[in-house]
Amino acid sequence: MTDKPSDLVQGTLDMLILKTLALEPMHGYGIAVRLEQMSRRVFCLNAGSLFVAFQRLQRDGLIRSEWKATENSRRAKYYVLTEQGRKRLNSETKEWGRQVAAIARILETS
Amino acid sequence: MSILRSIAGGLRSLFRKEQVSKELNEELNGFLEMAAEEKMKEGMSRKGALRAVRLERGNLEIAKEVVRSAGWESVVEALWQDLRFAARMLRKSPGFTAVAVLTLALGIGANTAIFSVVNSLLLRPLPVSSPNEVASLVSQTRGGGSSNGFSHPDFDDIRSQTTSVFRDLTGIQPFHMDGFSMNGQSQPIWMSYVTTNFFQVMGVQPALGTFFEPSNGRIDGSDSVLVLSYSFWKTHLGGDPNIVGRSVSINGCAVTIIGVSEKGFGGVVPIAETQGYLPVGMATATLDSPKGFLADRRVENIEIIGRLKPGVKIGQVQSALAVVARRLSDRYPDIHRWDWLQAFPGGPLNADPSGTAVIESMAAFFLVLVGLVLVLACMNVANLLLVRAATRGREMAVRAALGASRGRIARQLLTESVLLAGLGCAGGIALGVAASRSINSINFATAIPLVFNVGFDWRVFAYGLGAALLTGVLVGLTPAVRAARGNLNSLLHESPRTGTVRLQRGRSVLVVAELSGSLMLLIVAGLFVRSLRSVERSDLGFDPNHVVNLTVSATEAGYDESRANQFLKQLLQQANSLPGVESASLAGTIPMGYYNHGDDLNIDGYRTPRGQERPRAGYNVVSPGYFRTMRIPLIRGRSFLDSDDQTSQYVAVVNEEMARMYWPNQVPIGRHFTTANDPAHSIKVVGIAKNSRTQNLTGPLRPYFYRPFAQHYLVPVTLQVRTALPPTAAFRQAIELIHSLSPAMPVFDAQTMTQALDTLNGLLLYQVGAVLTASLGVLGLVLGLVGVYGVVSYAASQRTHEIGIRMALGADPSSVLRMILRQGLVVTAVGVAVGALLAGAIGRLARSFLSGVSATDPLTYLCASALLAAVVLTACYIPARRATRVDPTVALRYE
Repeated sequence: MTDKPSDLVQGTLDMLILKTLALEPMHGYGIAVRLEQMSRRVFCLNAGSLFVAFQRLQRDGLIRSEWKATENSRRAKYYVLTEQGRKRLNSETKEWGRQVAAIARILETS
Repeated sequence: MSILRSIAGGLRSLFRKEQVSKELNEELNGFLEMAAEEKMKEGMSRKGALRAVRLERGNLEIAKEVVRSAGWESVVEALWQDLRFAARMLRKSPGFTAVAVLTLALGIGANTAIFSVVNSLLLRPLPVSSPNEVASLVSQTRGGGSSNGFSHPDFDDIRSQTTSVFRDLTGIQPFHMDGFSMNGQSQPIWMSYVTTNFFQVMGVQPALGTFFEPSNGRIDGSDSVLVLSYSFWKTHLGGDPNIVGRSVSINGCAVTIIGVSEKGFGGVVPIAETQGYLPVGMATATLDSPKGFLADRRVENIEIIGRLKPGVKIGQVQSALAVVARRLSDRYPDIHRWDWLQAFPGGPLNADPSGTAVIESMAAFFLVLVGLVLVLACMNVANLLLVRAATRGREMAVRAALGASRGRIARQLLTESVLLAGLGCAGGIALGVAASRSINSINFATAIPLVFNVGFDWRVFAYGLGAALLTGVLVGLTPAVRAARGNLNSLLHESPRTGTVRLQRGRSVLVVAELSGSLMLLIVAGLFVRSLRSVERSDLGFDPNHVVNLTVSATEAGYDESRANQFLKQLLQQANSLPGVESASLAGTIPMGYYNHGDDLNIDGYRTPRGQERPRAGYNVVSPGYFRTMRIPLIRGRSFLDSDDQTSQYVAVVNEEMARMYWPNQVPIGRHFTTANDPAHSIKVVGIAKNSRTQNLTGPLRPYFYRPFAQHYLVPVTLQVRTALPPTAAFRQAIELIHSLSPAMPVFDAQTMTQALDTLNGLLLYQVGAVLTASLGVLGLVLGLVGVYGVVSYAASQRTHEIGIRMALGADPSSVLRMILRQGLVVTAVGVAVGALLAGAIGRLARSFLSGVSATDPLTYLCASALLAAVVLTACYIPARRATRVDPTVALRYE
């Protein structure tokens, strides 16, 4: 179980992407790698779900994108957190904390 | 915001597909490269690294598809693809497409046309502002009928006592033909007499000038101010911009034009255009409304229309009206015996208290019939699609084998049928609009300015579109479901021929349904045509042939009563001596005309039985020669004489029905009665005339009497001439005579008496019914024919192989012919039987529109069935005949 990457809890990918982008603008691969590093390789992200999420977040106005050169002077699309995205991240983080605490309480009582 | 952004993003992907796809490619490639570089840093070969990335991250091509299909635009794109493909498929078989589209266009067109008529008659709201706030009042008398007639004092009382629910009430005498004269030129004008707040309550603005003052119309015959309708002003007065302030006359009474109503406002009477408005008090000056009726609670000649306060529910209105009804009934127990007083949404016609709702039930009936036509059209197209589906079974199987999901295939087929229906809808709406235009332009040979306003509005469009979409889905559903359910393996293996055997029974059921539908339409058409024939041949009680009518209005020529009488006397004398003339006479009204005189009566020695209405009869005012001209026989007593004049005893000839009702088992000659309008003059009965039809061609005969013109002057009058000359010569002769006596005398309504019967009261509804049902019947027959022909010829062609074998084994052509015909015969027989049964049901609905023919008339059933069977068997014979000509060697090789 532990050596295989886990699936993400439904609906949390968006929040994690926003969190990653809160530090600095990043391209798609960078986001994937950062997420894996931060999760200590618990998550391995499929390109399909990652890019669908980018499209969705962009259409919701939470992130925007621009083409820039990478440190290896390759052209890549960088995603940037918008003001609206930052607000959403804050509210979702709070909500997540509340839910996790609640779930933990339920699991401990049994 | 985010919805807008999502739409914008989607549109960008749709319209800048190349660009978006290139960007996505580049981004994903970059992703792949970066991931691979990472792996290569760890010492992998490039090839190994790429492979590892694919394993870890999933196939990037699939990722692209996933991203592309995530947005809403992918659905649109797929739909667009389906549509393009469907269009291509339809283009590939133009014959099928043409037949299907034409069939649907006929079905939808017939529906659109009928619906647009119903729409203009019933559904379209009054042409006033916020029409949903408008309601009309109806009272119900205890033990009697309901009525929408109220007296002017009632109007005032109801108006002042319902201010909590109505913003205001207005009173109207809706429709009356008067004479309009200006600069010595006269023409008929259809007038409404209204209380002065009429236009304010209706929310109509003047296009020119002003409307009535609140003080107008409270005194008999004062306030001679006229408002004209926009279209009358435009078409009859040339849109003269200086019309306001002009002095004209209505029925010889001088009035001043003060305004022109808003463009598009044709009054509150549906179908007909109201051309002018006078204050209601003027009815005593221009019409024969009794003097002082504005203050007389007994004269109930006003209809009341109200405008609800905003937010008031109709239920609140009814309870407010119930209180008023009780109060007025208690206060005037000898006049009002109201059970209730209610408001019905809409104009006076919608509140038609006669309760028969003829127009509604007729509309419903025709919508059912025309719906049946659409069903027939749908079945035809469904049939064609099933045949096509059978031959396309393999195509579907191949597509499924290549990975198309079943839902996708079903969607594709549905798209095709909806596209077909869409094309049919476009054609149908075009046909329907053309048909309703032609209804608009029918000349109903009437003096009434009929405005059917049958036209295109959003309701008609929605109806047509709804019908088309429903058609598309219904028609496409079966083949689509079949395709979605089909077993791939067996479909791929079976030949088109064996595949269709399963469908054969389903299609036979469809054909039976179609034939029975056609038969129903034919039978209904037959019933209506026979009903028209029967009404046309019914005993009118007078002889309409060889009589011409010309209406003259002496007051319009500026004559007073004595001058007019002198003119009419001369006219009669000289008309009687014209060549070819058998007899000439005058009459106030003509049978089946648009208006009739009637009055309440006081009959000496007659007591109204409890619970019955007081005596009332229609009457006509005629010159002595009338009975000879109309050939109405006198049963007893005498006709009028020249000596029956203003100075002698007032006399009347009554019809048999009036004699029977009011002097039962007595001889009425020598007895007296008075009319409510003129209680001062006692009228003596001098003769009894045979019953004749005056206001209705069918239904009960009504009490009626005739009075001599010399004792009851009125305008306008109709000169009736029985002549041996053809009508055109007779008209010319009569008009020349009139103008030789009085050059300025206006002549309207020159018609033969037979033409004059084609009115709404006369034959018109029967004629319209017969024409409409006959058209639908023909349509049904054609559709049934196409359906049966299609199925039988297809079945025959599918059996070519089998027939070849039979003939090779020695079957002779006649037995093959019999075999194929038998199939058609069975289907026809079942269809006719089912159709006749169903026609019995639909005939019951039609019963109230028929006259002189029973809804189960055996002759009609027999003829319609025979006609259908003959046509259908001919349709079977052609393909059957073709099948017998098959060359066995060709047939055996045929696959």
